[in-house]
Amino acid sequence: MPRVSYYPGCSLEGTACDYADSIAGVAKALDIELVELPDWNCCGATAGHSINHRASLNLAARNLALSLGRPQPVVVPCALCFNRLRSAQAELAEDLSQVTPQIAALGTDFSQVEVVELNSYLSRPEMMDLIESRKVVNLEGLAPVCYYGCQGQRPPKVTGHPRAEDPQGMDRLLKRLGAQVIDWSFKTDCCGASHAIPRPDIVFTLVGRLYGKALEAGANCIVTGCQMCQANLDMYQTEIAKSMGREVYLPVLYFTELVGLALGLKEAPGWLKRHLVSAGPLLSKTGLPRQTWERL
Amino acid sequence: MSEDKRTDRKGDLSGAVMVVGAGIAGMQCSLDLANAGFLVHLVDRDISIGGNMAQLDKTFPTNDCSTCMISPKLIDVASNPNIRILSRSEVTGLEGEPGDFKVKVHKAPRFIDLDVCSGCGECIKACPVEVPADFNLGLNKRKAIYRHFPQAIPSAFAIDKIGSSPCKVACPANVSAQGYVALIAQGRYKEALALVRRDNPLPAVCGRICTRPCESQCSRCDLDEPIAVRDLKKFLADWEVKQGEMDLPKVKEKRPEKIAVIGSGPAGLSAAYYLALEGYQPTIFEALPVAGGMLRVGIPAFRLPREVLEYEIDYIKAAGVEIRLNSPIGRELSLEDLREQGFEAVFMSVGAHKGLRLGVDGENLPGVLSGVDFLRQASLGRAACPGDRVVVLGGGNVAIDAARTALRLGSREVTILYRRTRHEMPAYEEEIEEALEEGIKIEYLVAPRRFIADGRQVNGLEVIGMELGEPDESGRRRPQPVAGSERVIPIDGAISAIGQEPDLDFLEPKTDLKADRRSRLLANPLTLQTSIPWVFAGGDAVTGPASAIEAIAMGKEAAISIGRYIRGEDLAAGRQREWSVAKVETKGLDKKSRRRPPLAEPTGRVRNFDEVVGVFDEAEAQAEAQRCLSCGVCSECYQCLEVCQAGAIRHDMSAQDIELRVGSLVLAPGFKPFDATQKPEYGYGRYPNVLTSLQFERVLSASGPFGGHVQRPSDGREPKRIAWIQCVGSRDASIGHDFCSYVCCMYATKQAIIAQEHAAGLEASIFYMDIRAQGKGFDRYYERAKKDHGVRYVRSMLSRVIEDPTSHDLEVQYFDEANNLVSERFDMVVLSVGLAPHPAAKALVEAVGVETDVFGFAKRQELNPLATSKEGVFVCGAFQAPRDIPDTVMQASGAAAEAGALLAQARGSEIRPEEFPPERDIRGEEPRIGVYVCHCGINIGGVVDVPAVVEYAKGLPHVVEAQEFLFTCSTDSQGQMARFIEEHQLNRVVVASCSPRTHESLFRDTLRRAGLNPYLFEMANIRDQCSWVHAKDHDAATAKAKDLVRMSVARAALLEPLHQFPAPVEQTALVIGGGPAGLTAALNLAEQGFYTHLVEKSDQLGGLARRLRRTLEGFDVQAWLSELEDKVRHNGLIKIHLQTEVVEIKGHVGQFKASLKSGDRVRSVAHGAVVVATGAEEYQPTEFLAQEDERVTTQLALHEALHGQGDPLAGVRDVVMIQCVGSRDEEHPYCSRICCSQAVANALRIKELNPDIEVTVLFRDIRTFSLKELYYKQARDKGVRFVRFDAERPPQVSPGAEGLEVLVFDQILGEWLSFRADRLVLSAAVRPNAETKHLAGALKLPLDSDGFFMEAHLKLRPVDFVNSGFFLAGGAHGPKFLEECISQAKAAAARAATILAQKEMMVGGEVAVVDGERCVACLTCVRSCPYGVPQLNEEGVVYIDPAACHGCGICASQCPRKLIQVQHHSDLQTLFKACHLRA
Repeated sequence: MPRVSYYPGCSLEGTACDYADSIAGVAKALDIELVELPDWNCCGATAGHSINHRASLNLAARNLALSLGRPQPVVVPCALCFNRLRSAQAELAEDLSQVTPQIAALGTDFSQVEVVELNSYLSRPEMMDLIESRKVVNLEGLAPVCYYGCQGQRPPKVTGHPRAEDPQGMDRLLKRLGAQVIDWSFKTDCCGASHAIPRPDIVFTLVGRLYGKALEAGANCIVTGCQMCQANLDMYQTEIAKSMGREVYLPVLYFTELVGLALGLKEAPGWLKRHLVSAGPLLSKTGLPRQTWERL
Repeated sequence: MSEDKRTDRKGDLSGAVMVVGAGIAGMQCSLDLANAGFLVHLVDRDISIGGNMAQLDKTFPTNDCSTCMISPKLIDVASNPNIRILSRSEVTGLEGEPGDFKVKVHKAPRFIDLDVCSGCGECIKACPVEVPADFNLGLNKRKAIYRHFPQAIPSAFAIDKIGSSPCKVACPANVSAQGYVALIAQGRYKEALALVRRDNPLPAVCGRICTRPCESQCSRCDLDEPIAVRDLKKFLADWEVKQGEMDLPKVKEKRPEKIAVIGSGPAGLSAAYYLALEGYQPTIFEALPVAGGMLRVGIPAFRLPREVLEYEIDYIKAAGVEIRLNSPIGRELSLEDLREQGFEAVFMSVGAHKGLRLGVDGENLPGVLSGVDFLRQASLGRAACPGDRVVVLGGGNVAIDAARTALRLGSREVTILYRRTRHEMPAYEEEIEEALEEGIKIEYLVAPRRFIADGRQVNGLEVIGMELGEPDESGRRRPQPVAGSERVIPIDGAISAIGQEPDLDFLEPKTDLKADRRSRLLANPLTLQTSIPWVFAGGDAVTGPASAIEAIAMGKEAAISIGRYIRGEDLAAGRQREWSVAKVETKGLDKKSRRRPPLAEPTGRVRNFDEVVGVFDEAEAQAEAQRCLSCGVCSECYQCLEVCQAGAIRHDMSAQDIELRVGSLVLAPGFKPFDATQKPEYGYGRYPNVLTSLQFERVLSASGPFGGHVQRPSDGREPKRIAWIQCVGSRDASIGHDFCSYVCCMYATKQAIIAQEHAAGLEASIFYMDIRAQGKGFDRYYERAKKDHGVRYVRSMLSRVIEDPTSHDLEVQYFDEANNLVSERFDMVVLSVGLAPHPAAKALVEAVGVETDVFGFAKRQELNPLATSKEGVFVCGAFQAPRDIPDTVMQASGAAAEAGALLAQARGSEIRPEEFPPERDIRGEEPRIGVYVCHCGINIGGVVDVPAVVEYAKGLPHVVEAQEFLFTCSTDSQGQMARFIEEHQLNRVVVASCSPRTHESLFRDTLRRAGLNPYLFEMANIRDQCSWVHAKDHDAATAKAKDLVRMSVARAALLEPLHQFPAPVEQTALVIGGGPAGLTAALNLAEQGFYTHLVEKSDQLGGLARRLRRTLEGFDVQAWLSELEDKVRHNGLIKIHLQTEVVEIKGHVGQFKASLKSGDRVRSVAHGAVVVATGAEEYQPTEFLAQEDERVTTQLALHEALHGQGDPLAGVRDVVMIQCVGSRDEEHPYCSRICCSQAVANALRIKELNPDIEVTVLFRDIRTFSLKELYYKQARDKGVRFVRFDAERPPQVSPGAEGLEVLVFDQILGEWLSFRADRLVLSAAVRPNAETKHLAGALKLPLDSDGFFMEAHLKLRPVDFVNSGFFLAGGAHGPKFLEECISQAKAAAARAATILAQKEMMVGGEVAVVDGERCVACLTCVRSCPYGVPQLNEEGVVYIDPAACHGCGICASQCPRKLIQVQHHSDLQTLFKACHLRA
């Protein structure tokens, strides 16, 4: 039974609790023990690293230090958290002197820490084998494009991602689960991130383009592994469609939700229910069992 | 390298050189060395020579066909007796001293005998294995047996074989499973079945009951599931039965020897079969009334139907095997009796038919049966139902078979008891599954304790529960009884199937035959010979119970042993095989599920003995076979062996390690195009319509994957819009390729032009940073592309390529020069990938021990561009730095000069002269003409109806035979032509193909080799003059081709043999010009041992180099120059003529006389070759206030000042440089090549002296090509500003009080920027000097349109003049860097050495002759000859020296009496040809 450390990050306790639930559900069904880091703190993201670099570094360093001597890898579902932890780890590997004494007291051997993004973790060959072996529902009829966003693999020098421009993890995993995954060129394009509030026009333009390209590619849904991407793509779909002057119907799902559906988890439809674009009409047209979509 | 070492060494010098890498560099270097008297070992890791150039379609800037240029070179190399090609070879080690090296070479097997292969290509059709074609970069497929292209040298094919496939190695009989699977995939069932039978005469049997060791080792096991090899074999066997025709075995000539085989099981059948194939007469003695052994009486019919076995036994009988049933060996017929009956040897294959005993109480009770006995009785139809409730004891296949048989005989409840768990159960998984399906129960972890009887009949079995303990010797965990778990099972019958052993009771007690404790016969494991020399043994009788395939394998081996025994040969010799197993990497491959044959319904099948497992249909069989990963590449199916008429295939060829002695090495491993997957943003490898530039070359090529049709890989559609993206893998620090790849700008330009020719209306766009057109003629080509061809150049770097997933169109976004974001769609994107050192070079440099730079290029050695860090080892071509073909060829010749100088004293010591057969005398013969019409791939054949032309030629007068060839120039076509000449006693040959310019000498050579005078050859150019120009009108082109052939045939009839004669060579050189190029050439020639006159116009040596201090790379020019000058002055073989001019050169190649004028004195020197190295000069500009304001200077003047005394930058705050002054304008439309680097060098120097000075460079394109790019980057890093201007809006300069004001129009801002300058530096053009113009007139040497000397061929003869014996080097040839002058000077020396190394050369032939009788000495010819050859002789008539005559024909056409004729081009011949223009 795999046992790993788990760093949920702040948004999974708030805006992205749907994502958090699906992760917990899937982990349980797969007998993966997610051991949450005790007393974890902010990853140092968003404003942190642009305002006070050293502070953001130490925030990440503390989380890394907390994981020392605990199960590895440290699995991180949030792309931004992942990116912060990995960047800090890379920077500290060059220069440890920036760590405050208080945090250094927790340990500084950060090379022992293996930070992994959740979608990379679940698409490891052995994990895919495990998931496939417990598959009870084939995701036939779902034609997703996988949308990884920008933070999970770039820059490759920091993340060590072998295909930063064309990541494959979710694609492979969902293919194994029977989905007709569609390749597209926009896997790592920007969704506009936190500009949704101050500059919605930017987000509308960028997300509108993603919708357009996904539909052009023949997708019937978008699958993501980042709660920020999910929010930006899910929240304003009607509005953006209006500004595009065309119909858009693209449920925006977490890949973990689809894993949950494939594993036949009863609670999976409940996760889906919390999205603004309902997956119901789509799922009802696929070969998926009725109970997965009838209440959506 | 020090001078002393060269002269010290004598005697032990080797006269051989190894050239590593056979691209254009390696080939040129080899040719120059071989022609200068050295033996060359040309080593290449590929199967043929030619390197990257062979893959190109056309070449820039002349659009010449690359294949057409390289093919004659390939043939020159192949036909040069002093060049030995070692293909598929790599250097693995180097020892010794310069002049005396020992090189270790690893030769990988080609699996085809080079000397035997005729290149017919039949094997390609036979080979079933397809792999991506590496030569076409994966755009299409090729076979495992292949050659890269029809003109390849060596022309022999090669086989790619990584090793034997794991399935074959795993099979005890080593059946080529990959082979027959590949054949099935192609639907070639008959061949596939024959392949199985090669090593296994029982395919139908093994297709059903084989234990399939092959599948367990299948590479697909790592990925999904193994190939269903057994089911495929069954499909094959059943397919033959369905066809109704047995493919009868081919038996060798009958032999008299009789052999006895005891037992007709698989071992016996196999031994008898293979003995029979060899012609022996085997007889099988079978104790039972049926044949087949355990196959017949051990395996139930529902697994192996009787008729299937009988069919195979019939097949074996058909080979000549006799089977005697009911003939047990024993008292009636002993082994000795057989001997007496004349059997020369005996094979004991009696099997293992005796069941092992349980060793428990009650085992002998009625109703308790032995499994083997039960199955045997059942098979013979003698068994009754063993009872209602039956237990079977055991976990092997016999147990399962017995249980299922019991069920079919009527038992209602059958339970298998096994003492371990299912995990340890030896029976096959699917047999267990099938048994369970049929309702058989299996209980695990139980063991029998005793049988209980009710009266006599058994009615119960006491069993005990077991648990698993520690593993035993078999590796399985040992079962141990659990105390107190005893219970009794009620039963009506029991079958014990816990194993069996051989039954040797039939042997006489006193036999010499030895067996072990378990009754297994003892035999030598390799030869199977027993303790009695004439008795051999195999199968279960030796191994104990094992599989059929093991028995078959032993039978086959026994047949070999017995054959050898009878022939009196060594039984063991060469039979230990060591396998090299091929295994493929399965990571990332797609999963494909294994096909399964249908099964009979369980409820129905238990009622009868019909076969349970079904068979694939054809579609399933092929689909399953296509899952094969072709592990070994070659599948060892041996189909090539079957079809090869020449007998050239050698599947058992192995690698060889050899050692060669050479004096020097030249490394030319070349480059490999950048791996575009490293720039994933462009989608290469993901988007089908994104190609690399080399792939696109193949797309354009007539011999490429699409036959020269430009099409998209995704849908075959012709693209309308193509984008080229420049600098992919170049000028990119992010991937560690900071350098510029030199050639990409030009090849993209060329591809754009050519693509437009292929696809009318195609829009070509090139996205670039700077266009680097710094070579000779390049800028004109670039301008032509823009103006004449409408190629669009967009200055912008694209960040990525986006694909429309449905149409596979590609979209790019970029900012145009006005800073607008533009989005464009293209049908295809070509990535202009850069050049990277060939990966194989890494192993090479390690083996040889030379140093490389950070990129992997050979480390540069000061101003010694062809040297490596190891003395005696030289380098040339793209391994030294990215460069184009002419520069590569120059370096190649230069490297030959280096090696030649090192080994001068051993010249000629290891070579042999070329020999031709004696010439046939054709005097008095009627013309007998052969006509050969070439398809030239599709170049001709795609337009002209070649077969029609051939038919037409057959009807022309004197034509005795006509043929067509796909490529007439390929070596095998040449061989055929020679054979035809002999066969038909031809005395004239006409080839209708391409241009005599490129190919005439090749065909003439063929005639010589066939014993014909080479002048009895005529060529009709039906390509350049026909198919190319009339590509759109096929009928008219065909008609014209016929006309051209008819004319050539007419002329051919009049051809006469001509003979050349030897003329002595004056082995002295003349070098004109005492600059760096002249000095280098003279020194090298002297070092090569040739006396050299060095003529310099001025009073000092050094030329322009005297003004240079440091190169861009920081090398000290003056130190180098003074050392060079010193060496020249002290070399006893060099005569320096200062303040001397060459006024005239008379004579001809090998025999020149130059008049040297010094002051008033004129002296004449004799020499055999000339190197012209008169240099160039810096343009003195008049623009930009150059002559008016002293603050305006040139780069050269600034360079001198920056490295001179004092403070050249005192008071200077701002320096502005203007590029392209006097270059790239209407009047001088060429790039001066060196100025960008000069500017960068000076800017860096300024920053070095005072970093605070602002340096601004105003440029059009920065052309710091190749590794010079690193310094451009350095300059930017140091804060040098680069501002681009447009040629249409040049900078404006005005004098100001506070410094000069320089205005430049900025494209992006759209306004004029102003810079102040304390110094304005003009990058003035390089211009030809007065000397060049003067010499061109005096020596009749051609100039190009820019006033520089013109070489014989832009690409492949960059240092030769058309005038033979004249060579050129340095600035006189065009603008050049110092190190390039040095390389070229050495190249010129090497080329000159190919003449000077000969004592005499052949002259005459196609020259003018005067009819002296009728000459009236009007002197018209004397006056008109451009070479001054005709002279009045003592008899008062004109004499034309055949050695001096160039054969130009001017005299002949001028002669008023028409009494001068150019031989081979006589008036009559020409007239006759012209007359036949009309049929």
